[in-house]
Amino acid sequence: MLDPALEHVLRGSLALLLASGAVQKARDFALFRAAVEGYELLPARLAGVAAALFAALEGALGAALLAPARFGLRPGALALAAALFALYAAAIAINLARGRREIDCGCGGPAAHVPLSGWLLARNAILVAMALACLAGVAQRALGLVDALTIAGGVAALALIWTAVHGLLAHAAALARMQEDV
Amino acid sequence: MTEALLVSNVLLWIAVLALGAVVVALVRQIGVLHERVRPAGALAIQTGPRVGEPAPVVEADDLAGAAHVVGAPVADGRDTLLFFLSPSCPVCKALLPVLAALARGASLRVVLASDGARQEHEAFAAREGIALPYLLSTPLGLSYRVGKLPWAVLIDADGVVRAQGLVNTREHLESLLEAKAQGVASIQEYLARERAEKGAA
Repeated sequence: MLDPALEHVLRGSLALLLASGAVQKARDFALFRAAVEGYELLPARLAGVAAALFAALEGALGAALLAPARFGLRPGALALAAALFALYAAAIAINLARGRREIDCGCGGPAAHVPLSGWLLARNAILVAMALACLAGVAQRALGLVDALTIAGGVAALALIWTAVHGLLAHAAALARMQEDV
Repeated sequence: MTEALLVSNVLLWIAVLALGAVVVALVRQIGVLHERVRPAGALAIQTGPRVGEPAPVVEADDLAGAAHVVGAPVADGRDTLLFFLSPSCPVCKALLPVLAALARGASLRVVLASDGARQEHEAFAAREGIALPYLLSTPLGLSYRVGKLPWAVLIDADGVVRAQGLVNTREHLESLLEAKAQGVASIQEYLARERAEKGAA
C-alpha cells in the first residue's frame, strides 16, 4: 500500500512528464517524426501517423492522470502510461541490440541530441515502476497541509532531477563526439 | 516535537529544491561550455580543402542520371552550396525544407551529396519529395574530407571554397552564407578577429 502523499507525488510527476513531452513533440513535430523514422521499426509511411499518435496519447494520458478520481480515468491512464514507457523502452532496446546508438532518442526535445544508451532503459524502467506503484493500491489517510508541501516539493524535486539527468545524457554524448574528433 | 519536525521538514524541502536548482544550473552551464567549444556553423574541423583554396573538382552523376561537375568555375556567376547528407540522419531531413527555400533564391545553386546504396537514396528522395540535384558519389565525400553530417560547403562561381562546416540548424546554414559575405573562414577566425579589434580599441 502506497501512502497517498507519495501516490500524488508519483502521479503528478508522471502527468507533468507526459504533458510536457506532448507539448515538446507537438512544437517540434518534424524532428520527432524524423526520430520515429530513425528507429526504423515502422514503415516510413506510418512514421508520421505514429508520431502524431504518440504525441496525442502522451497529452491525453497527462490530462487523464490529473483528472479527479471520481471520473475513474486514473487506473486506465496509469496502465496505458506504463505500457507506453515499456513500448518506448522496447524500441530503444531493439535499436541498441542492432548497434544503432547514434540515432536520436526523440525524447530530448530540439535543443539536445540525446543518443540511445542503457541509461534510457533504466530511466524507462523507473517510469514503469512509478506508474505500477500508483496502480498497486493507495492507503486511505486524510491529507493535510504538510502533505501539500510534500507533494509540491516532491514533484518539483523530481522535475529538477529529470531535467538535470537529461542534460547530462545530452552532454555525455556531446563530450564523446568531441573526444572522437580530437 | 511535531512542530520541530515540521520546521525541519520545511527547511529540508527548501534545501532540496535549492540544491536541485543548482544542479540544473550547473548542467546548463556545461551546455553553454559545450556550445562555446563545439564546432558550429562555419567552423572547419577537418583537413579538407581550406576556405579560400580552389575546391576539388569532382564529376558525379545525380539520381536522375545527369552528369554534374562540382567545384569547377561556372559561367552563370552563381555560388554552389554542396550539402552532404544521409537518409539516416534526422537533422539532415529537418534541414531539407530550408535547403529547398535557399535553392529558390536566384543567387545560389544547392546540390545534395551522399554515398551508399542507390535504392536507399532513391526511396529517400521520393519519400521526402526532393527536387534538388542529388549526387551519389563516394569520391566526392572523400575529396572534401566529410567526416560529420550534415556537412555543407559553399563554393563560389570561380570554384573557390568560401565557407564550410557542420550544419545542425537553419542558423548554421545561414552562418555559412554570412561567413562568405564577411570573408571569414571559420568561427574561430571570427572570434580571433573580434578579439583583436577589441584589443586595438
